[in-house]
Amino acid sequence: MPTPCPPPLAAADCLAVIPARDEAATVGAVVAGVRDALGCAVLVVDDASTDETSRIAREAGARTLRLSFGLGAWGATQAGIRYARRNGYRGVITLDADGQHEPASLPALFEARSRSGANVVIGTCFGRLSRAKRIAWHYLRALSGLGLSDFTSGLRLYDAGAIDILAGPEASLLDYQDVGVLMLLAKNGMRMEEAAVPMLPRSAGHSRVFASWPVVARYLLHTTVLCVAQIDAGRRRHKPLREEPAAC
Amino acid sequence: MLTGQITSAILGVALAGAILFLVRRDHLHGPYAVWWFGVATATFVLGVFPRLVVWLGHATGIFYAPVLPIIIGLSLVLLRLLKLDIDRSKQERRIRRLTQKLAILEQELTRLGGVTLPEAADDEDG
Repeated sequence: MPTPCPPPLAAADCLAVIPARDEAATVGAVVAGVRDALGCAVLVVDDASTDETSRIAREAGARTLRLSFGLGAWGATQAGIRYARRNGYRGVITLDADGQHEPASLPALFEARSRSGANVVIGTCFGRLSRAKRIAWHYLRALSGLGLSDFTSGLRLYDAGAIDILAGPEASLLDYQDVGVLMLLAKNGMRMEEAAVPMLPRSAGHSRVFASWPVVARYLLHTTVLCVAQIDAGRRRHKPLREEPAAC
Repeated sequence: MLTGQITSAILGVALAGAILFLVRRDHLHGPYAVWWFGVATATFVLGVFPRLVVWLGHATGIFYAPVLPIIIGLSLVLLRLLKLDIDRSKQERRIRRLTQKLAILEQELTRLGGVTLPEAADDEDG
């Protein structure tokens, strides 16, 4: 039985979700950039910021959700995904609020999706990885069985199928939008594709995952346990769509 | 001079009393109260009838009988801790989802009413 081809996804039917904590310096420009590049609705999820993130995002034309207390990057993103599902959006684009994703590269995610028919497209900058990250990624790739090159990229496009999975309670105890999220998607038969995009240096703020060595060690330890517990998820083989052109 | 028997009986009674008091004051709810009351009862019974330990040691093949209650006790504590973390995870999931739902409903309320609600950071209570 051929895998059904996902229906085409237009940027106008999508919601851009931007999780933000204390990103007042950059969030306005990011919101404006996304609106210019895609023309879609933008939702900034304010992860209990102590600065003016919400107000600046609203002034730039975004809707805002304000979490009563910090849930972390993934908790904030999931709030946005639940909002998208509740309001009938057919796709969600996630990106970081610190300005490291070039809004002009967003259409590349949609092109990659229409080319591959994948449920999830991850925007990856192949050149930006430091040596430590390369080693970590190599380790995670071997452990998780997921054939991807960047696990923590916050630049992603999810279709309605992926939204249904990620909005559910099973995804609520994850802490980062990374391996755990990808393994949950893989377990549910979602296909993932990577698209090469340029990545700008962070203009403010810092990576939540690669903040310091103890944080990295804790992150790798958590992720290792998660991967071992879900050892089968990333290794499930799906028939690539390209082998079934008739289905599209 | 207290004998070991009286000491452990007093410990059992004190534990049972403390647990009943905590349940009465609403500090321990349903399943937790039952578990801890069971622990108190066992402490009390084994305290009053120490021969039970010797008999159990023979029955289970543990020759140095006094170590048996320690093994059982430690195993039960570990089980209890495990259950506690499972419950904590369940609650954490619910709290996260409720926080998200609250933010979504607040946004809808704002949109329907056309007014911006005051920032919600102040009502954080831990």
